[in-house]
Amino acid sequence: MKVIFILDQIQAGFGGKERGDLPLGGKKLAIGAVDMFTNFLPAVDATVLATLYCGDDTFMADPQTVTNKLVAMCHKLAPDVVICGPAFNYEKYGMLCATVATALEAHGLPAVAAMSQECEAAISEYRNQVTIVKMPKKGGIGLTDALQKILTLAAMKVKKEDTSAFAAANCY
Amino acid sequence: MLHALEKTLMPLAEKLGKNKILIAIRDGFLITTPLIIVASLFLLFNNFPIPHWVEFWNGILGSQWQSWFANVSRSVFNLVGFLSCFGTAYAYGRQLDTDAIQAAGVAIVAFIILTPTDLVLKGGTSIVGLDTEYLGTNGIFLGLVVALVAVQLYAFAAKRGWTIKMPDGVPPAVADSFAALIPSGLVMIVFFFVRIFVGMTSFGTVHNFIFEILQTPLKGAGNTLFAQVIYGLACTLFWSFGINGPAVANSVFGPITKVLTMENLDAFQAGKTLPNIFTDPFSNFFTNFGGGGSTLSLIIVMILFCKSQRIKQLGKLSLIPGIFGINEPIIFGLPIVLNPIILIPFNLVPLMNLLISTAVTKLGIIPYTNGVALPWTTPVGFSGYLSTGSWVAAVYQILLLILGCLVYYPFIKILDNNYLKEEADATDKKDETDDISFDDISFDDL
Repeated sequence: MKVIFILDQIQAGFGGKERGDLPLGGKKLAIGAVDMFTNFLPAVDATVLATLYCGDDTFMADPQTVTNKLVAMCHKLAPDVVICGPAFNYEKYGMLCATVATALEAHGLPAVAAMSQECEAAISEYRNQVTIVKMPKKGGIGLTDALQKILTLAAMKVKKEDTSAFAAANCY
Repeated sequence: MLHALEKTLMPLAEKLGKNKILIAIRDGFLITTPLIIVASLFLLFNNFPIPHWVEFWNGILGSQWQSWFANVSRSVFNLVGFLSCFGTAYAYGRQLDTDAIQAAGVAIVAFIILTPTDLVLKGGTSIVGLDTEYLGTNGIFLGLVVALVAVQLYAFAAKRGWTIKMPDGVPPAVADSFAALIPSGLVMIVFFFVRIFVGMTSFGTVHNFIFEILQTPLKGAGNTLFAQVIYGLACTLFWSFGINGPAVANSVFGPITKVLTMENLDAFQAGKTLPNIFTDPFSNFFTNFGGGGSTLSLIIVMILFCKSQRIKQLGKLSLIPGIFGINEPIIFGLPIVLNPIILIPFNLVPLMNLLISTAVTKLGIIPYTNGVALPWTTPVGFSGYLSTGSWVAAVYQILLLILGCLVYYPFIKILDNNYLKEEADATDKKDETDDISFDDISFDDL
């Protein structure tokens, strides 16, 4: 399956919190934190189609436009599934992930979001609309498990399998 | 191999990370740390490593100025055991879901119950007072033990609802103040008997007892190169899997390093010979530069010697945070987490730094650290100077930083070449750049 990842500036390798104004962009490559998934991709027969990124402050300044653009770009690139995350406990990035994943699914593209419980606002607003995989906060325990679960859920969505049992166990 | 390692380390991290006692000790130190840092600055000003410093200020402020500053540093350092008791008790109270501030209050009372309060003066007269000998560094472990036992007892009684019931109509604030009565009474009575009982033994005081059977042996075990290697490896190995290594390792080593550091501070304050090598400043400023894994060395190589756009750019963006010890941008952005190539030097460089710094300190080339708690964001060079008072130490830090670059070089070059190839492939294959532009995208495309 062909996967697009959507990252913030930190995960994409464009600096720290102070670089939240990074404009929308992307590479037709696995960049930054996507490399954490490298060893787990073959298990679900996945390849990285592209990595899209956006500064978390850029998103918060105009969530609607950024979401629209990301959805439009994903449609243009035509992946099988979009992974919005991993957002760890970065709250603004978590909001981006939940918002964009919800919009993607509304437009017919399977999407998975992932963040830790610290991203309360995003989780409480979107948990009933899109699957948000539970993951540890930055430096927390269980990262590799969570990464594999994100991919498993993505694969299930691509194959149009019933995800309700999996989501009940692993999502918010 | 990574997988096998992770399978062993994960349960350990989970156990340590969820242990309420260890969390309480760690969080308790979080309460005392800011106090120690601020008091350290006062101590540092009093003993600034510049010749004629004291005489210079004597001329301006008068000869009593040192006592002004000493009083601030003493108010923290000479009470650090007492403050640890308070901090840990409060944090443990929170962990046990009981009235934390009340629990902390009764814990420090229990600590003082165990402390001798009759001071015999030189002439033989005796007064009521507290000897800071008991409340300072030597009391750190006792402070922790008392905090944990007292709060456990307090929570036990409170959870069972052992309170005095007030008649209806008594305002809630009044009723609440009585809620703590029996739990507090239980704690105080238990420590009342503990003091009497230990007083009958050859230890004389509980302070002596804990100091001899717990603090001294644990400190001895922690003050070895072997223990420091374990500590250093734990810090980086856990990070390799995305787990905050220092948070895990400090839950075990924190109290021991605290004692070692405070002993040096006490000696520094008193103008005596510094006793310990392995202090907090030593491990913060002579084994790691720019955050865990000594990643400032990595960033320098990324900027100076890497060719791929991604690595070079990330290096530049990470330099300023890196100088101040923040490496979040490369931990996830490069990434370092779960990256089998970079994890090798990430674990090796701090280990190398530790071994060389230990040798260099033992050989007397750089002085022992004075224990002054500088913020961990203090940049390389300054930190070496301020924590030892020696310019040689600052220069040594720079040399070690460069040596770290040499170790990181071959590994980051492997990654750099991979990225260069990827970037070139992506360009060739699609006969266009690998950049995705959002310039022309609009929602109307849907």
